[in-house]
Amino acid sequence: MVTPFHLLRLWLIQLRYAASRELAFRANFFAWVVVELAWFVLQLAFVGVVYQHVESVAGWSRQEMIVLVATNQLIQQIFTAFLMPGLVKLPELVREGKLDFVLLKPAPSQFLVSTSHLEIGPLANAAIAAVVGILALHDLHITPTLPSLLAYLLLVLAGLLTHYALLLGLVSLTFWIIQAESVLLGYYSIFQVARLPREAATGWFRILFTLVLPLLLVANIPAATLIRGLQPSSMLLFLVTCLSAALGSSFFFHLGLRRYQSASS
Amino acid sequence: MTASLAALPTVFSIGLQRQLAYRWNYLLRALFSAMPLLVSWVFWKAVFQGKETVGSYTLAGLLTYYAVLLVVEAVSSPADDDFQISREIREGMLNSILLRPLPYGLYRGALFLAGRCAYLTAAVLPVALCFFLLSRAVPLELHSLDWIHGIPALIGSALLQFSLTLCLSLVSFWLLDISALIFLVYSLEFLAGGHVFPLDLLPAPLFTAARILPFAYEYWFPAASLCGTIPRDAWRAGLGMQFGWAGFFLLLAAFLWKAGLRKYTAAGG
Repeated sequence: MVTPFHLLRLWLIQLRYAASRELAFRANFFAWVVVELAWFVLQLAFVGVVYQHVESVAGWSRQEMIVLVATNQLIQQIFTAFLMPGLVKLPELVREGKLDFVLLKPAPSQFLVSTSHLEIGPLANAAIAAVVGILALHDLHITPTLPSLLAYLLLVLAGLLTHYALLLGLVSLTFWIIQAESVLLGYYSIFQVARLPREAATGWFRILFTLVLPLLLVANIPAATLIRGLQPSSMLLFLVTCLSAALGSSFFFHLGLRRYQSASS
Repeated sequence: MTASLAALPTVFSIGLQRQLAYRWNYLLRALFSAMPLLVSWVFWKAVFQGKETVGSYTLAGLLTYYAVLLVVEAVSSPADDDFQISREIREGMLNSILLRPLPYGLYRGALFLAGRCAYLTAAVLPVALCFFLLSRAVPLELHSLDWIHGIPALIGSALLQFSLTLCLSLVSFWLLDISALIFLVYSLEFLAGGHVFPLDLLPAPLFTAARILPFAYEYWFPAASLCGTIPRDAWRAGLGMQFGWAGFFLLLAAFLWKAGLRKYTAAGG
C-alpha cells in the first residue's frame, strides 16, 4: 500500500537525484535562467508598451497588471521547476517504449512520470517574479494582510494544479498521436490566457476559461486577492474548477495508459 | 553541381513525406498557433474600450496585423529544423550526409521548404477557420492586403529565418546543448520581431533601433508589408535590409560550417 508519506519520501529522493544531475551542468543552468528571464522581460515590455497608450485595461492599472503578470510568472516558473520537466518527457517515453520501466515500479505511474525530473533555474526566476510583484505592490501602497497572504499561497498552489491538469491532459494525447511534441507549444499558447485580466474576457471565452479550464482564474484570483482583498466566492470557484480539471486530466491519462503498448516486447 | 541540384526534388519529396507522416502533429501546431490571435483579440478589445485608435492602429487594423502574422508564421517560420540540425551534428548523423554529393545548406534548404509545405497544408484549415471566426466578430481589413509588396517580404522572411536557424544550429559543433541559445533568440524574435505587438507601437527611438536588427524583418516587416502600412520608400529600404541580413547569415553559416567541419569527429557508421 503506497501512502502519501511514502510518495513524499519518494519525491524528495527524486528531487535530490534530479538536483545533483542539474548541477552537473552549471552553464546550462545559468543559460536557462537568462532565457526565462528574457521571456519575463518580454511580458513586462508588452505591459509597458500598452500602458503608454492607455491608463487602464479592463479596470487594471499598470502596477496592478504587473502584479498579475508577476503572479502568473511565479506560478509558471514553480511549475516549470518541479512538474513540467517530467511531464514533457512522456511523449518520448511512450514513443520509445521506455514507459515500461516506469510502469514496472511499485508506485503510481502518474506520480512517477510527473516528478521524475527537476529544473532549478526556474526557481531563480520565480524569485525574481516575486520581487517584481512586491515592488509593484509597494508602488500601489498595498501591504497585504496575513489572511490575504495565506490565501495567496493557497491560490498559487491551485494555479500550479491547473497548470498540471492542462499539461497532463495535453501530453496524454501522446497515447493516440505518435509525435506529440507540439503539445508543448499548445501548453504555452493556451496559457497565454492566464495573463489576461479576467474582466477583459466576455461571452463563451470567459465561460470556457473560467468553468471548464480555469485559466482566467490562475493568476487573476491570487493577484486580485493581494490587491483587493479576500474574495471567498471567486476563491471557492477557482478551487472547485481546478480540482475538477485535475481529476479530468488524470482520468484522461489513465485512459491513454490503457492504449499503451510496450515497444520493447 | 548539376547532379546536386537534380537531387533536390528527391530530398524535397522525402522531406515532405516524412513531415506529412506526422500530420496530426502539424495540425495541432497550426491549431495552437491560432490561440495567440484569440488572446490578442480579447486583450486588445479591452484596451480599445472607449478609444478609437491606439498609436496609428484601429482595433480592426491591429487584429488584421495579428491575423496576418499567422500567415507569415505558416510561410516562413522553421518548425524544428534547428533541433534536427543540432541532433545531426551531435549524434554523428552528419556522416552519411557528408558522403553525398550535395551541399549541406541546399539539403537543409530543401527540407525546410518541404516542412513549410507540409505545415501550410495542415495550417490552411485552422488559419482559414480562425480568419472566418474573427471576421464575424471584428471587421478585419483583409480586403486591402497588399500582396505585391507582401510576397517579396514573405520570401525574404523565409530566407532570413532559414539562414538564422542554420547559423544557430551550426553552433552545435562547439556546444553540447543549444536549446537555451535557441529559446533566447526566440524571445528576441518575439519582442524585437513584432510578434507580441506591432513594432510601430514602440516609442520612436526604440522603433528605429528595432529596425536595425534582423528580427524586425522576420515578422513585423512582412506582416506590415502585407497590411500595406509601410510607405513605398521605407518598404524598399526594408526589403534591402531583409535580404542584406539574410545574405549576412548565409555567409556566416558557410563560415561556421567550414570551421565546424574541421572540429567535427565522425564516429560509428
